[in-house]
Amino acid sequence: MLTDQVLVKIEGVSKYFGSFKAISEVSLDVFDGEKLVIIGPSGSGKSTLLRFINLLERVDVGRIVVDGIDLSDPHADLNKLREEVGMVFQSFNLFPHKTVMENLNLAQLIVRKRSIEEATVISTELLKKVDMLEKVNEYPGKLSGGQQQRVAIARALAMKPKILLFDEPTSALDPEMTGEVLAVMKKLAREGITMIVVTHEMGFAREVADRVIFMDSGKIVEQGTPDHFFSHTENERAKAFLDKIL
Amino acid sequence: MPEIKSNKPARIDVSEGGAIPRKSDSGLFTAWRVAIVGAIVCVAWLVIFKPDPYKKILFFVHDGIYITFQVTIMAIVLSVIIGLIAGLGRISKNRIINGIASLYVEVIRGIPLLVQLFYIYYALGRLVQLTDITCAVIAMSICYGAYIAEIFRAGIEAVPNGQTEAARSLGMTPYQTMRHVILPQAIKTILPPVGNEFVALLKDSSLVSILAVSDLLRRGREYASESFNYFEAYTMVALVYLIITLVLSKLVGIMEEKINVD
Repeated sequence: MLTDQVLVKIEGVSKYFGSFKAISEVSLDVFDGEKLVIIGPSGSGKSTLLRFINLLERVDVGRIVVDGIDLSDPHADLNKLREEVGMVFQSFNLFPHKTVMENLNLAQLIVRKRSIEEATVISTELLKKVDMLEKVNEYPGKLSGGQQQRVAIARALAMKPKILLFDEPTSALDPEMTGEVLAVMKKLAREGITMIVVTHEMGFAREVADRVIFMDSGKIVEQGTPDHFFSHTENERAKAFLDKIL
Repeated sequence: MPEIKSNKPARIDVSEGGAIPRKSDSGLFTAWRVAIVGAIVCVAWLVIFKPDPYKKILFFVHDGIYITFQVTIMAIVLSVIIGLIAGLGRISKNRIINGIASLYVEVIRGIPLLVQLFYIYYALGRLVQLTDITCAVIAMSICYGAYIAEIFRAGIEAVPNGQTEAARSLGMTPYQTMRHVILPQAIKTILPPVGNEFVALLKDSSLVSILAVSDLLRRGREYASESFNYFEAYTMVALVYLIITLVLSKLVGIMEEKINVD
């Protein structure tokens, strides 16, 4: 499933928050179909790097090209780009005033311009996939965190994105709910969509990732296959981090 | 248990309008009932047992009630439109738009409504041919638009940023995000204080009697100066205002409840 076609190209990117350098000269290629897991201590810039890719953050220095669209080009169609890049958030961010079905349908109707029938068919299929079909008419407030996150994943998938970004999708969940969300993510991973996942779930990284990236102080300090990273890394910072959490 | 961020909007309290009777505030809820029954009984008693002058007064001022309603309703509609536009301007990242909206809000809120009424009436009214009522409605709308703009701004800003991020991530334009995601959520926070402004606006509409607009207060004053029954005329005017304000407060309360259920 992994091809040699580069889908996301990050070149010499830096980002400052005031005088704090959150990202420091990071370069990274993500390939079509790749499952990339980004790990690292909090404040290391993982989420910021992820948020560059769908322009929730802008780079100060460097260049990012996603699916052939240069994000720094002022004429680039950024709404179009965002349609191709799905995002799943730590805090789910479902629309509380809309039912589960409406959450999935809304962007399909107004962004993808699908008919309500077409959108409903797609939403139903996706809700079945994340095992949330029986809650189709509930409001998000009535759902558990794990259920909300599964709906949020289905909502992102409904746009049929080329890339799916996960920003610590299980950090707000208890272990049981974490398990059900990870199960859905593993199922997706097998279907070949490109995934970039920021997480603290090392089990998930080991099982699903094609490549693991370890970030510290705004830099990529180590990367490799899960086997290399978890068992054979020589990097002192990565070793110290793994010792602490494993 | 994991901490799930509550999306419950914060209550914005702007209280210069009537007190909105909510079921949760049992003191006010009871007070509302006592006041409305008391006011209606008072008016009925006065009109039935002392038709001279009270029935005459009521009859004399009744067309003023229509004018008061007319001014209030037109000003409410217009000030909400102005408030929405200016409120969106206040959160705009465009410096010029933001600057203009902020200046409008700051200047208008710094000038008394009565002065604005005179200003529009004598300045604008001399430049363009406008009826008295039109002048009154424009002045009230511009004034209340500035207050309502701040409520819109606060209500919109109270919606968690994650909502915007989620909508934008799904490819929605800023307009679609505002229209389908942010405003429908903000409306719950916005409605109570805006309702309060409606009640305040209704009461402040009495200021237009200073201009040549024959609203409820002006008609009362006309009756008083003709008949010298000042006390009786203003008693009736006050009671009628009270009844209207209480009913409007109640309507706002009901509207709030409806929105919270949905």
